[in-house]
Amino acid sequence: MEKNEQSAGERKLQCSDVSKCFQLLESILDGEMGEEGKDVLKEKLAKCQPCFEHFHLEQAIREVLKTKCTKQPCPDKLADSIRQKIQEIK
Amino acid sequence: MSEVQRRKYTPEEKTAIFDGEFMPHIDSMYNFAFRLTFDEDDAKDLVQDTYMKAFRFINSFEQGTNAKAWLFRILKNSFINEYRKKSKQPAKVDYQEVETFYNSDDVDYQSTTDLRAESVKDMLGDEISNALNALAVDFRTVIILADLEGFTYEEMAKILDIPIGTVRSRLHRARNLLKDKLRGYAQSMGYNTDEEEE
Repeated sequence: MEKNEQSAGERKLQCSDVSKCFQLLESILDGEMGEEGKDVLKEKLAKCQPCFEHFHLEQAIREVLKTKCTKQPCPDKLADSIRQKIQEIK
Repeated sequence: MSEVQRRKYTPEEKTAIFDGEFMPHIDSMYNFAFRLTFDEDDAKDLVQDTYMKAFRFINSFEQGTNAKAWLFRILKNSFINEYRKKSKQPAKVDYQEVETFYNSDDVDYQSTTDLRAESVKDMLGDEISNALNALAVDFRTVIILADLEGFTYEEMAKILDIPIGTVRSRLHRARNLLKDKLRGYAQSMGYNTDEEEE
């Protein structure tokens, strides 16, 4: 993992306010921080190892959730059955 | 559905809205319903009921606003009112208790120190899915809305009838709980979860 080999030394190993930082990172990942989020993120990732790791973990979890938990196939007949029932009450 | 009715749509407009703006979301709706009920028949009934209500109350839907969020709100309310009673869901979570525990800094710190992004990427769909399904329904719901369906905090606040601050904190706690489950899987699968332990 590149983070340990290359750059952990440049990052502080303790985050002074884990709870606040992690919630902030999650808001950024959720797209809730707009442009200012990008600057905050850049700084956190460059300077803080726990933030760096948390960000990549959260990002990985979001990716697997999105790719692996949205494929429940909707039964073919459901849409037809709904349309039919709507016709009946029109 | 409590909004003031702005106008009445003509029958042609109703059909156009229903087919053009409501029906395209049926896959997401079914996925949400299935993850709430864990039962195919219940999920079908829930989706069908939701669409029936959507049609009945179509005049309170404002064209140009987010149809998907509007439909999800109806589905969520239908689930609470009708399905939760008869399904085998555990009783409502005591948020106070759960939130106090999972909001501690220790939990936050532990979450990053012993679960690796790499382990998560290696997990199979079933493991992720089971971890999500194992969460209490209110926590599961916020993860589904945010991460599977991509709703914003503001949309989620409207769907769930809770303030945005509560969305943010509930989501954060839900993610901590999810990481707990994933950590369990990672350990049982022999993934490296404690490489930096001293």
